[in-house]
Amino acid sequence: MKWLVAERRRSLSAALIVVAVVITSLLAPNPRDRVALGVAIVVAIVGVATLTIRGFRETHPVFARATLTVVALDVALFATYFFSSITNFNLAIGAAMSIVLLGLSFLTGASGQISLGNSAFMGVGALAVAIWANHHASTPMVVTLLIAVACGAFVGLLLGLPATRLRGPYLAGMTLAFAVAFTAIVNSFTSWTGGDAGLQLPTAVTPPQWLSSFFNAQTSLLRVNTMWLADITIVVTGVAFFFMANLFASRTGRAMRLVRDNEVAAELVGVSLPRARVIAFMVSSAYAALGGALWTLINNSVSPPTFSLALSITILSLVVIGGIGTISGALIGGVIYAYSTNVISWFTQHTGINSQGNLASQLPGIVFGGLLILTMLFAPMGIAGAVRRVWARRRVRMTP
Amino acid sequence: MDAFLTSRIISDILGGLTNGVIYGLVALSLVLVWRSTGILNFAQGAMPMIATYLGMVVFAHRLGYWPLVAISIVAGFGVGGVTERVLVRHLYGKPEINPIVVMVGFLIVLEGVAAAIWSTTPRGIPNPFSPIDWQLGGKPIALSPFSVYEIVTALVVMSGVAVLFRFTKLGLQLRASALAPEVSRLLGVRVSRMLTLGWILSTGVGTICTVLVASNFFTGLTPQVMDGIFAFGFIAAAVGGLDSPVGAIVAGVSMGIVLQFVGDFVNSNAIIITALIILIVSLMVRPNGLFTKSTARRV
Repeated sequence: MKWLVAERRRSLSAALIVVAVVITSLLAPNPRDRVALGVAIVVAIVGVATLTIRGFRETHPVFARATLTVVALDVALFATYFFSSITNFNLAIGAAMSIVLLGLSFLTGASGQISLGNSAFMGVGALAVAIWANHHASTPMVVTLLIAVACGAFVGLLLGLPATRLRGPYLAGMTLAFAVAFTAIVNSFTSWTGGDAGLQLPTAVTPPQWLSSFFNAQTSLLRVNTMWLADITIVVTGVAFFFMANLFASRTGRAMRLVRDNEVAAELVGVSLPRARVIAFMVSSAYAALGGALWTLINNSVSPPTFSLALSITILSLVVIGGIGTISGALIGGVIYAYSTNVISWFTQHTGINSQGNLASQLPGIVFGGLLILTMLFAPMGIAGAVRRVWARRRVRMTP
Repeated sequence: MDAFLTSRIISDILGGLTNGVIYGLVALSLVLVWRSTGILNFAQGAMPMIATYLGMVVFAHRLGYWPLVAISIVAGFGVGGVTERVLVRHLYGKPEINPIVVMVGFLIVLEGVAAAIWSTTPRGIPNPFSPIDWQLGGKPIALSPFSVYEIVTALVVMSGVAVLFRFTKLGLQLRASALAPEVSRLLGVRVSRMLTLGWILSTGVGTICTVLVASNFFTGLTPQVMDGIFAFGFIAAAVGGLDSPVGAIVAGVSMGIVLQFVGDFVNSNAIIITALIILIVSLMVRPNGLFTKSTARRV
């Protein structure tokens, strides 16, 4: 019986693929587009078919996560082709931000610590990319990003030295001090960092030839470039999320959750508290650095004053609103960040608030702060947690 | 003697003392809240800031400096009490990150609201004390009537808090309900009221500190006036021990002096970096702060 179901699914997927390929070959104007579209559709269908196999996620968790990542990337990359430059730019900024959020989400959700210095860690990554690129312009992008990640992890290690005391209030206060000190640190090494003015990348990130060839000759260069940047960011985000999902489920991740819930129990079963805390903190700062590094690539420059305490607080708000300690929460937070500016300016337009006035300029802070308080008081697990709860309740009701 | 008093070292010590008492006051207000309710109040800079705006700006045209100071302090008491009753009350017994997150949210809401109402332009507060340093033999000593006012006020507030906790019945009740809430309740202390009182006191101390900072001719009152000072105050409180009022004050004052030397002999960027290093090193060496007796944690 089970075999029969699997057989039916297999033929269904095959039929779907055939139909899709036929339709694309009829619709797409030239062979190159046809191939691209076909590959995208086949990957999506095969992926979804694999994921929906009963029990697959339990028996092959890592493979299931990889498949999910590939499908999500496939759809997202495909979508960027149709988006406008502005949407793609917002998408890239939001995707990079969601990496940062995921890092903080891990720190808070898995190990129960909190950091108010993640904007400064973003700044470390952002500056690392710019400094490295200015000295070694020919380094491949992947290597530059990895260097930024390593810098973030290293600074995280330095700050994590008093690990025995890395607990809630102390860590929060110390990282706050780091965020406040970041500008001073940047200004102490002006010849490297460019001070408050920041740095430009020597060469902009340009799309490879084969990508440009998908577009008409009339398509503006800006559109192709933004799409390429969005694609890079999305792929990096996908990889980062895949690693984090595995880390959450791994032995290390479980050890950290134990540290969060019961320190003494964790020590008794042989988890080293300082080690677990430092690792969580380093992972979080490395992720923040990766997000910051991507921002530098997207903006083609880095401006240190961006990475202020205010940004740290925004990061914290987004993590809490999205859902602490959940993967989907980080994604939700990224989307909110990408579109918050638009939503708030829409709001000011429609409520007749003077868009140049004090209130309009302070609205983002007030809204994020208010949501932060309300979420923490009434739905501590954020949007992801609330959705999950509603889901669970419906499931219970549906099964008699 | 004159040359000695105007020398660089004495100037730095005096200037550092003036900053240090401010850090000490912020640290003290943090310790008051921490001891009474076990919460590190990240809005400890913003709550007094709102109170100072309420007191100093709303009635600015009608009253002189001293009535305005009095109104600000009363507003500070009010802000502290209301915050504890409305917001903080729901956070007792929750995981330790919940109050941190809520108070951080409260911080940006308050700063946003203040900037929306009163704008971010610094607002000077006229006061009777001259910010110009006294001269000695044609050279300035780093002490002005205003800085003496700052130091004296801070010392008065600190000793006032000490007297309250040491020698009054109320102080005893406050200490008791922080140490053993259940026992205190059985003995007839109204613990819940004491918690509110802890916040009222702390915001009051914070408001006096903010009034001093904002009265300074060179800073003025802005919504973010306390952001940087809060960081120094927290570092002082953490170095001295969040449980120890004496530690907070001593750490605050000595940090002020050390940082003044750093700022004078290295550069202004090095100040906050040094403070950060002091924090990290002191947390490594004495995780509970320099002035707290180490206590066993019960499981």
